[in-house]
Amino acid sequence: MHHLDIAGLEARYGEHTVLSGIDLTVGRADVIGLIGPSGSGKSTILRVLMGLLPPVAGMVKLDGEGVNYADATQVRRLRDRIAIVFQQYNLFQNMSVLENVCVAPVKIKKRPRKEVEEEARALLAKVGLGDKLKRYPDELSGGQQQRVAIVRALALHPEILLLDEVTAALDPELVSEVLDTIRLLAKEGMTMLIVSHEMAFIREVASRVVFMAGGKIVETGAPAQIFDAPEHARTRDFVSKILRH
Amino acid sequence: MSYTLQFGQIWPFLPRLLEGAVVSLQIAVLAFCGGLLIGTACAGVKSFGPRWLARIVGAYVVFFTNTPQLVQIYFLYFALPDMGILLSSFMAVVIGMTLNAGAYLTEIQRAGFESRRASEMEAAEVMGFSRLQQIRYVILPHVAKVLFPPLSNQFIIVTLGTSMAAVFGVEELTGEAFNINAQTFRSIEIFSVTAGIYVVLTLAASVGLALLGRVLFRARTELI
Repeated sequence: MHHLDIAGLEARYGEHTVLSGIDLTVGRADVIGLIGPSGSGKSTILRVLMGLLPPVAGMVKLDGEGVNYADATQVRRLRDRIAIVFQQYNLFQNMSVLENVCVAPVKIKKRPRKEVEEEARALLAKVGLGDKLKRYPDELSGGQQQRVAIVRALALHPEILLLDEVTAALDPELVSEVLDTIRLLAKEGMTMLIVSHEMAFIREVASRVVFMAGGKIVETGAPAQIFDAPEHARTRDFVSKILRH
Repeated sequence: MSYTLQFGQIWPFLPRLLEGAVVSLQIAVLAFCGGLLIGTACAGVKSFGPRWLARIVGAYVVFFTNTPQLVQIYFLYFALPDMGILLSSFMAVVIGMTLNAGAYLTEIQRAGFESRRASEMEAAEVMGFSRLQQIRYVILPHVAKVLFPPLSNQFIIVTLGTSMAAVFGVEELTGEAFNINAQTFRSIEIFSVTAGIYVVLTLAASVGLALLGRVLFRARTELI
């Protein structure tokens, strides 16, 4: 059974259609790299999956079970299983690093604080932030904040992690520390959908690459196929432009 | 110009001035806390409430921020008895100042509500926070931090405004100063000592509030 099944998904911002008929299947431990020009709908897929933008048509299935996005209870249950990390980190500015990671598991999921904190400390140490527990977001670099945001998502024990251009707001020298963290997750078998412009990274870490344009999926395939031997002219055009610089 | 300062004559009255200062603080704390409740509710209505209710709140704010506080209290003290509502001078002052503070605090807090960060609320939403939990854990702490300095300022303004109560015969700090002045005619001495007590009150309040803000919200308020 597929972990995540998307069929005929459509979404609109007002009158503007941003997704038209997306079909995508994601297996367990798959790492899907979503690439394409700006405005092609890559990030919108993630927002629709999280229930931030209600779809106007189509079907999303988790482990074979359909999700009704109009039902608040179902959306809440879905958010127990899928987590997202945003481009701008969106950390809680009024909370320390440790509190950012612990607040949802403790206050919302009602797990014991001691156990959550221990896990948070371990996760933060794993991404190299073991000495920043008491710091506040505005005292950290962008790369450090983004790693906190990833740990915050992981502390919710998601089955699927969505990463929305998580390195796009970072200085070049800070990108690699975040990519290292994602690499680690891929190795541990986390199912991920990654929207990114870091082509070399996508090529290395993705099990499958999806190229999108104009709200549609143009081509899907193994990284080698998409980057070295794309079938469609539109993909070829994009890949050659991206890889030339 | 042969006036000789004679502070010695008013020292015996110092305890009465200090008692008056306690009454001043009581009025200030009551009016500020009441105003804070009104301000929070009204700011909530203005930011999130239905439009017709926001209009009513808007009219309240415009009325109380554009008329003199003295006139507002006069109205409560002298006009309401005609409608069968009799207020002690202390109550008239407290209610008048509460309504006045509420109007100013509405505007201050609305600015705070509107400084909330949509991105943080979105993050909270996808992590499973309900709307109320978003307000409790994300919006309120943030708003409290942003608002702490202007709220502290407003508390000082309310504290100084309590001197108006003297006009209605309330024996707070200024009222006591009036009384003692009538007995001794040592105006310069009495009002300079009174002014000094106000300075001590407001300084203590600013320092105390600034320290509290640092502890609670990491708010960096300039001390003095």
